[in-house]
Amino acid sequence: MRYDSITEAIGNTPLVRIDPAVTGLAHIDLFAKLEMLNPFGSVKDRTAWHMARPHLTDAVAHGSRIVELSSGNTAKALAVIAGMHGLSFKSVTNRMRVPEIKDLLLLLGAEIEELPGQSECLDPTATDDPLTLFHRALAESGSEYLHTDQYFNPRNTEAHLNGTGPEIVKDLDGRAPDWFIACVGTAGTSAGVARVLREHDPGVRVVGLVGAKSDFIPGIRTIDEVQEVGLFDPETYDSMASVSADEAIEGMLTLIRRCGILAGPTGGGAYSGAVRHLREADARLTERRTAVFVVCDRVESYLSYVKQRRPDLLGRPRRKHSPADVTAAEALSAPAVGVAQARRWIAAEGPLVVDLRSPFAYAALHIDGSVNIVDELFEELLRGGLPFSRSRPVLLACPVGEKSARYAALLRRMGHPDVRSLAGGIVAWRDAGAPLVRD
Amino acid sequence: MGRPLHLEPALGDRLLSLLRTPGLLHLLTGALGSPLNVLVPDQIAENLARFRSVYRRHRLSGQIFLAHKANRSSALLRRLAATDAGVDVASLGELRHALGAGFGPDRIMATGPKNPEFLWLAARAGVTVGVDSAGELDRLAALVGRHSLARARVLLRLSGFEAPGVRVLSRRSRFGSPVRDLDTLLERLEQHAGAVELTGVAYHLDTTSLSEKATALESCLTALETCRSRGLRPRALDIGGGFGVSYLADRRQWEEYTTQLTEAVLGRRPPLAWQGHGYGLRNEAGTLRGTLGLYPAHRPVAGERYLDELLARPAASFGGRPLAALLLEHLYDLYIEPGRALVDQCGITLAKVLEVRQAGADGAAAVRLAMKADDMALEKHGVLMDPVVVPRDGSGPRDAAGPVAVHLFGSLCLESDLVTRRTVFLPCRPEPGDLLAFANTAGYAMDFHAGRAQHQPVARKVAAWQDGGTWRWCLDEEYWPTMSAEGPQ
Repeated sequence: MRYDSITEAIGNTPLVRIDPAVTGLAHIDLFAKLEMLNPFGSVKDRTAWHMARPHLTDAVAHGSRIVELSSGNTAKALAVIAGMHGLSFKSVTNRMRVPEIKDLLLLLGAEIEELPGQSECLDPTATDDPLTLFHRALAESGSEYLHTDQYFNPRNTEAHLNGTGPEIVKDLDGRAPDWFIACVGTAGTSAGVARVLREHDPGVRVVGLVGAKSDFIPGIRTIDEVQEVGLFDPETYDSMASVSADEAIEGMLTLIRRCGILAGPTGGGAYSGAVRHLREADARLTERRTAVFVVCDRVESYLSYVKQRRPDLLGRPRRKHSPADVTAAEALSAPAVGVAQARRWIAAEGPLVVDLRSPFAYAALHIDGSVNIVDELFEELLRGGLPFSRSRPVLLACPVGEKSARYAALLRRMGHPDVRSLAGGIVAWRDAGAPLVRD
Repeated sequence: MGRPLHLEPALGDRLLSLLRTPGLLHLLTGALGSPLNVLVPDQIAENLARFRSVYRRHRLSGQIFLAHKANRSSALLRRLAATDAGVDVASLGELRHALGAGFGPDRIMATGPKNPEFLWLAARAGVTVGVDSAGELDRLAALVGRHSLARARVLLRLSGFEAPGVRVLSRRSRFGSPVRDLDTLLERLEQHAGAVELTGVAYHLDTTSLSEKATALESCLTALETCRSRGLRPRALDIGGGFGVSYLADRRQWEEYTTQLTEAVLGRRPPLAWQGHGYGLRNEAGTLRGTLGLYPAHRPVAGERYLDELLARPAASFGGRPLAALLLEHLYDLYIEPGRALVDQCGITLAKVLEVRQAGADGAAAVRLAMKADDMALEKHGVLMDPVVVPRDGSGPRDAAGPVAVHLFGSLCLESDLVTRRTVFLPCRPEPGDLLAFANTAGYAMDFHAGRAQHQPVARKVAAWQDGGTWRWCLDEEYWPTMSAEGPQ
């Protein structure tokens, strides 16, 4: 397929059947609408492009800046579209909790503003919501803004009314599925698709999935948060259900490991929610039915999210010469010297003094003549073996003498004959009035 | 009316035991009147130990200062004086109170807006002064010079922090000096070198957001490095308080309540509060607008655990090292100033039921209490929590017909004197003479707002402590740590 612009590659995403052996559904064919295969990586490519396109010529003429309240995919798509048209883009958010997404947005050239948290000493009379404050700031700024307003802009829904919905019907040979299941963020996808499907078959059942209240799934709102969305209309859905972060990650794992679909947590949540919802109906069915759920985006941006919730999934084999292998008893019995003794030793034998603190702390104050190797780097160095000669005595120093004891024990184990830890660390050194210098 | 929604308070062992001693509570209110505040000073030592354990885990040293403004109680302050903690005072009266409770100058920090008398006594006594602005630094230096006082130790309170990469917005504060003007401020400090000595820098942000605080902390580490590069010797970083309290026992109750409130505001269920009050939420064409003006009453991470999470945050401008490691490596003491979190579970407020009227059109009975709304200010701070009914002596078992909806009115001749606007569900119908106990009111809810409108009394305070299995008590102002079984004898 040949295109003149990457934006032409938005839409027309595949509809892929999930193997019944995976879903365990005997009578229902479950299809995944792979919105993750849009060029910028998510379903929001459609929305962003459809909302921004009519205003781009004007925006370029006025040198406007695109702004949106987004914590992820819409911001990503808008940042790319802005860049392609020589415009700048700012994302305002209080929900961006996944560090890689921040990094990615910065890489794409976006500016990010994080809204302040709730006041600890609450002023109950201050009832302006972040949205109101945001709109006021846009009005006051005096400069030109193109605000795409995804939570209220009807063109968000329209993108799916013209694209996503008809594509599903076409791929199902002109029929609507019996169920459509989607996670609710801006409600644009579900509202648009639901309308198209109902026009084909009023009997289609639409299930909206929201995040459990105490949980956080990137890109989905909780049952209360959806009420703040202008495009959200409870009438769109035949039923609403919540999914937990655990279910989202489990669903994501199933899609990734068993279906070859590299979905992110929202897609995983939609899958888990869909199977949970359909299982009951499936048991009572005798004839074949179809269901469609949406895979919004890809897994790669959510590694730290997964790592935080399910560290077991990213477990790495332990490597040798790790300070983590040193037992508490070993560390306790590692040779250590107090401040007075250390000063005499330095004067008499000139051991190599290694300061394990960060370079910033080292630069601020350190023992004269010492070498700075920050602990993380030191750990890496030791994996390759002893980094200094056995003939040179070594004094290790850290803030309180704890890490240095651990490393002293490790170096001993690795065969260094004379390595000692500074007991009490740099703190004890300072408290004893021994000199610390800046270079 | 809808089905009953409960918001049961989290109760620690001391408060639970106190509430299971109804005879004492009725005796106290009988003698000292309603409303009445009961404090359990020993709890503050336990809370302090929990904060200390976070310091130990991160190998950090430095002082923990109680933000005195959370409660005027003498018992709490004197009990704290018997520990190794400090106190953060924000007025002349608080400073005098702290000095009189037994805190030496090295354990007192003077912060907030200061009048000349407050500044003089702070400098005279030799307490550390948290300096709010360059102007205040000038005033302090002039005072030290004019009265030939010893050099005053100062912490510079900074504001307007920025982090690399993501711009973290903060609400504008009326306090502190902008960090971008630090050099000018330090020049001023150096000009006053004979009168003031720099202890370190400080921030205090009124936010529940960890990332805002992490940004400020990181920015302060850079500011301290600037101080050092000018040859100054700062030793401490003061990160203020705002660690929060989790008031409710059950997360699900809190989630259910807030969801139902949203539904009520959108008109999909009967109202949950007096005259359909929405606690800041409103309905605009079927979409929810406004912001929930409620304290997050169930918090999975609050108090010392919040501090722990903050300290574990990575600092981007320092190679991603955790903030705790950076504080330790740079040899800085960590100062904190918790208020609400340090007096968590330290007291209750009692009010006598005067009258119970039949349910009105909204199905809720009107309960009038011998207290004004400002005597128990949880509602003013957006904290929603059920009171505990303490039936009057010998009133026998109550009809267990199930929860009863009530509105709690205060004793002022004023329409808006509602102890809470929320429709509260009590386990049984209260009767005149019963007490309602509001739990966990020691932080900002006892005396911060209480006044004497209409010649009505403000609540008295008593201190209570356990001696073996028995509760003992005295008036708050009569309490000294020598009395308490758990304190030094």
